[in-house]
Amino acid sequence: MAGLHDDHGARVGLPDLRERLLGPLRAHRFGHGEFEATGGSDAEADVLAAIRERAGEVHERLVHENEVFAVEFVGSTGGGKTKLIEELLERAPADERVGAVVGDVAGEDDATRLREYGIPVENINTGKECHLDPDGVDSALSAFDLEALDTLYVENVGNMVCPADFPLGTSLRVLVVSTTEGGDVVGKHPLLVQAADAAVVNKIDLAEAVGTDLDRVRGDIHEVAPEIPVFETNAKAGTGVDDLAAFLMARRENYTGHTHQ
Amino acid sequence: MHEISIANGILSRAVDAANEHGADRIDALTIEIGRATHVNPEQVVFCLEAIADSTPAAEATIRTETIQPRAECDCGWEGTPESLDLPGGFAPNIRCPDCGQRADLVRGRECRLASIEVPDASPEDKPPARRADEVRGSPS
Repeated sequence: MAGLHDDHGARVGLPDLRERLLGPLRAHRFGHGEFEATGGSDAEADVLAAIRERAGEVHERLVHENEVFAVEFVGSTGGGKTKLIEELLERAPADERVGAVVGDVAGEDDATRLREYGIPVENINTGKECHLDPDGVDSALSAFDLEALDTLYVENVGNMVCPADFPLGTSLRVLVVSTTEGGDVVGKHPLLVQAADAAVVNKIDLAEAVGTDLDRVRGDIHEVAPEIPVFETNAKAGTGVDDLAAFLMARRENYTGHTHQ
Repeated sequence: MHEISIANGILSRAVDAANEHGADRIDALTIEIGRATHVNPEQVVFCLEAIADSTPAAEATIRTETIQPRAECDCGWEGTPESLDLPGGFAPNIRCPDCGQRADLVRGRECRLASIEVPDASPEDKPPARRADEVRGSPS
């Protein structure tokens, strides 16, 4: 087992000294990959690193073994994740083979909506859990012929807290916030914003009606997660979705035969 | 709320390590929890105490330590990022103070079992393998 130092568990240093001085107590300190937050060896003792490692395996299976461009959508319930995916499906080139995995605590509403587009959809009901995890996604992948997919959309459970600690192994994570969540939504959930590769501010048509300052939302995203691209949409009317679709297409092309990390 | 599954992961790692050392009791364990996570230390301790019953960690003293974020930038800067000024909440400012680009967090996102303390194998310092035989049937 990596991370164990010797048969007696004591590392040279203070714990070892204490053992010699105090007798019947042994302390085992686990190995520390101090600058390898996602390194393999840390997963031995680090529960969250183990989850990131599992996400890495899902990524390997999806992206590297089967060349599927996978995009996760994450954000609050009612922010418009499903609607955005529908709009992207409307815009998908005829030859793009798309599938979707949707997660919800209960129900099949989102899956039913996406099945209307004639694509394979796998529904994950998490039951007790408030987020998807790499294991759940990995199981769901068995329902697909991955070699026959170009793009997989993964819609997470509506939640802006826990998914920050649970990457899924997709190529890209898109955060969806909507103006109806308030102008302070970004500052309230900074860790999830930092865990995203792109952000969508949806329902821009309602900003004025609900008193949300779009400049503040933009500014907060820029402050909390520098450099991530931000798209402003009214998914219901399809406004702004073309830009998001073009961005995803460009990233998908980058992923074709990509080598990274 | 995922502290129960996190506590489960920590407990199984602790019990595995105790078994490796031939110990049938864990006196104390320390968990390092990164500040840039949503893991709640108090809840992890509560969950661990609840699930540790009838395991070698049943009586263990559980300690948590908060790990401050550390970041590295492509420009060569590395250090402790400032905190974003968010009332009541915490997030690191991941903009590099030197070059203004986005830096990568290299610490502060962990939830790891940092150490366990177990009784000595015996006063004569018997090889741990003998003890491992004795505890083989213990729950893990």
